[in-house]
Amino acid sequence: MRRALGWTALAAIALALPWLMYPVLATDIVTWGLFAAAFDILLGYTGLLSFGQAAYFGGGAYAAALLAQRAGVSFPLNALAAGLIAGAMAVPLMGLAIRRRGIYFAMITLAFAEMVFYVINEWRSLTGGENGVQGIPRVAPGGFSLASPLVYYYTALPLAVLGLLLCWRIVRSPFGRVLLAIRENEVRTEMLGYPVVRYKLIAAVLSCAISGFAGGLWVINHGFVALDAVHWSTSGLVLTMVLLGGIGTRLGPLAGAALVLYLRDFLSTWTDAWGVVTGLIFIAVILIFRRGIVGTLEPLLVRGPKAGRVSPSQPGLSPQGGPGLSPQGGPRRRLTG
Amino acid sequence: MIRWAALLCAALLVLGVSGYPAAGQGTVRLTHGKMVLAVINDQSGVYADLGGKNGVEAVKMAVEDFQKKYGGAGLGTVDVLSADHQNKPDVGASKAAEFYDRDNADLVIDVPTSSVGIAIAHVAAQKHRLFFAVGAATTALSNEDCNKYTFHYGYDVYMLANGTAIAVVKQGGTQWYIVYPNYAFGQDMNAKFSAAVAHAGGKVLLSDPTPFPNPTEDFSTFLIKARTLRPRLQILGAMQAGQDLVNLVKQYNEFGLRQQGVKLAIGLLFLTDIHSLTPAAIQGTVFTTAWYWNMDKQAREWADRFNARTKVRPTFVQAGDYDGTWQYLEAVRRAGTDDADKVVAQLEGYRFNDFFARHAQIRKQDHVLLHDAYLAEVKAPADVKEPWDYVKIVQTIPAAQAFQPLSQVHCTMAP
Amino acid sequence: METILIQLFNGLINGAFYALLSLGLAVIFGMLRVVNFMHGALYMLGAFGAFLLGTTLGVSFWWALVISPVAVAAVGYGLERTLLRRLYDLDVLYNLLLTFGLTLLIQDVMRLRFGIQGVPYPAPPQLQGVVVVGFMFFPTYRLFVLVFSLAVCLGTWWLIERTRAGMIIRASTENPMLTRALGVDVDRWIPLVFAFGVALAGLAGVLAAPMRAVSPLMGADLIITTFAIVVIGGMGSILGSVVTGFVVGALSAVAAVYYPAAANVLVFVIMAVVLLVRPAGLFGTAEAA
Repeated sequence: MRRALGWTALAAIALALPWLMYPVLATDIVTWGLFAAAFDILLGYTGLLSFGQAAYFGGGAYAAALLAQRAGVSFPLNALAAGLIAGAMAVPLMGLAIRRRGIYFAMITLAFAEMVFYVINEWRSLTGGENGVQGIPRVAPGGFSLASPLVYYYTALPLAVLGLLLCWRIVRSPFGRVLLAIRENEVRTEMLGYPVVRYKLIAAVLSCAISGFAGGLWVINHGFVALDAVHWSTSGLVLTMVLLGGIGTRLGPLAGAALVLYLRDFLSTWTDAWGVVTGLIFIAVILIFRRGIVGTLEPLLVRGPKAGRVSPSQPGLSPQGGPGLSPQGGPRRRLTG
Repeated sequence: MIRWAALLCAALLVLGVSGYPAAGQGTVRLTHGKMVLAVINDQSGVYADLGGKNGVEAVKMAVEDFQKKYGGAGLGTVDVLSADHQNKPDVGASKAAEFYDRDNADLVIDVPTSSVGIAIAHVAAQKHRLFFAVGAATTALSNEDCNKYTFHYGYDVYMLANGTAIAVVKQGGTQWYIVYPNYAFGQDMNAKFSAAVAHAGGKVLLSDPTPFPNPTEDFSTFLIKARTLRPRLQILGAMQAGQDLVNLVKQYNEFGLRQQGVKLAIGLLFLTDIHSLTPAAIQGTVFTTAWYWNMDKQAREWADRFNARTKVRPTFVQAGDYDGTWQYLEAVRRAGTDDADKVVAQLEGYRFNDFFARHAQIRKQDHVLLHDAYLAEVKAPADVKEPWDYVKIVQTIPAAQAFQPLSQVHCTMAP
Repeated sequence: METILIQLFNGLINGAFYALLSLGLAVIFGMLRVVNFMHGALYMLGAFGAFLLGTTLGVSFWWALVISPVAVAAVGYGLERTLLRRLYDLDVLYNLLLTFGLTLLIQDVMRLRFGIQGVPYPAPPQLQGVVVVGFMFFPTYRLFVLVFSLAVCLGTWWLIERTRAGMIIRASTENPMLTRALGVDVDRWIPLVFAFGVALAGLAGVLAAPMRAVSPLMGADLIITTFAIVVIGGMGSILGSVVTGFVVGALSAVAAVYYPAAANVLVFVIMAVVLLVRPAGLFGTAEAA
């Protein structure tokens, strides 16, 4: 009953969102929320911090943009194709990266993302270099116009929700349980006979494919994509969202995306000192609300009289547990070389 | 009976007129009941000093001056909104769309960073509202990405390249080495400068892209290369902007290239760049500018008023923000409405002469503001008589020659 | 060939900055397990420190070379005591993000105070001009930077390998529990090591002031490359970070001669290859991975 109430409230918020703020921003929140949720499959549920997700989100965005502009592929198809392309990119890149753990995994994914950035900047004839791909048409099959930001929101919303449901399904499936086991203790999971590497690869490819799909939805929203979509700061932004929202919570990525994007939008007209404000929020969250918005509120809501929006059986990642990011498994090393 | 009717008519007339807010002259029909101008620029990143907060201030100043001059001009209150695009195209474009849609902004103005400028030009075309690009340099705004509602107001890459390259070659600097940052603006500058140098009879020995982003902020590799180029290099053409430029110039001096007889030609130099580099570091450097605050009495008079407000001297972008706002409001007054299509009709082909734009005309075919450009030279420190007075104008480039000739323009004014 | 030699040598000077910065990061990571994202911001503070000392107190470059890093170390010490130490029990991610937040804050405060364009800072009069050695020529100041930073790197190595303090640091890095049991107050050393690491960043900042733009964002892009260098060298390895810093500097300079556009991405290609072939980094010990 309580759960039903929570879901109803959530659905109501999702439907009302473009009336509460500018619809382009609302669509941004939904698409980035999906991106963050996909990213959390790796960070929160598998314990892999990828610092190169911009390559897949931005790569997907470029793919969808070019498909729409050069090949005339209409709306939902170009976003879906973006997902497939990002997934295909992930097979070799993540295949190599998952051979390393912790900080090393983060750095190797960053390295690959920087290479993608380099290729996109250099391949000017295709990508427009730093000016980006501009003027992307936004048409659905049959010439149905999606030009209105409001119409586009309600078109993109169900697709993003499907993506989210897929993310949640992945982490709750038996497959997702194995990922959790890998996060908690990789060696033991391997001992139990699970092909850990294959599990990690599948998780990574799924995460990247959904990120690419989110990138596709995002790019059609704006009608252009520029180089900063594949810059490392985009990888940093999605990490920020998940962290602020709550690592390993179902609604955390959405809440984080909403907070970060709304804040960015609000601050852009309110002050020029957005670095000071964001910096302070960051510090406060890390020091005080370490579990993020959802991670902090969830226990209160579940215990409290009000309806809990999230199920209490979250595989919530306690910061103390650590998402397996310590740079090493073995004993500490000597300081000198 | 007739008297009653006349009275009624008069009353209706009074009511009707006063129905318009502040109907001093009562002639401007406002489509949304109120005029709204929106400044979108970089207020916290690398271009914050050349436009930024003071760019917003310039627009406000223009609105106030305009209303003072025309006694309200029948415009009612004019709101000036502003946003910091943080150099992120998605932030800039969605802010622009929001300003147009929600705040009923009539005009978006400024917008440095080419990628953000182009993105907003597309938004303007889609929303059928006006956009004055002042801060962005790319010629794409008046060529492949041009549209009915976008105006390129003040300067562009062609103007910079054409003015500087021809003047420098004429002075005998024929052997060039161009270094340009490896992003759209730099690539564009390189292409335009190379063409202009060749056209003027000079020779570009080599051109190299410098890294983007540039974490080490180091250009020594290229400076060493410059010294080893044969035949003897005369001109180092630097196409960098902002911090990159400051670094390059600092290192150019460090490597003693000036003493070696390699002169510096800078593609795009703002007053704020000179201020931060100090004139000593780049004295004698020749560059093209759209305007300079101390170039004559008229410019100076405006700059003094700007200085009274902001405590700094204006860059040409800030002056362009003011002037663009002014000319936009003039066009609204002439059109008698803020209806975008009618204002565009008033702007197209309009000729004027004011403190910023001399012998000016807004070209109908590509919406570029044609006006006199200036070849400027950085003064020696001894010649700097007052703060911010870093430049002397050596030559005026007539409006007709300063900008891209129509034969080269490929703008289709696609809706 | 001459060109290559000149460029190689020139690259070493960039490498000197990489080496100083990554050395500081490596020392901090080795002892505290903190990936210090604000290293670039502290490097910027070091440069501004020299500028402020010069303009307000008339302090020369030489004294700034001492005072500014000490001031940066004090800032680092304060931040470590008040903020960073709260997160030592948690995953390294949390301190990385905390220092990221601090970076945004520090950079923006400096921008609000000094503007984005930055401030001028001249080279000391003794080091202006160009030296010609055979077929090579170099700004005198750059040669000084190279020699000086090499000396600092060697000094750090000596400090850690040959002194009692260094021994304690090495011991508490390797096994803090055991070191504690032997009666060493490990916790007392932690803020000092952190302060020392960030002082190196401050020092690099002062060295950079005469040859680079002193502006709030001067360290913003540098940090990612520096991370890559620390990883290539082997995280926490002093020798590794120093050698890799110089090597990457030199390689980038040579790459810039032949294919300038690729100079940037080179370090990431090297990092990817090294991590795949030799996970612990070039100088890291095998157990680490």
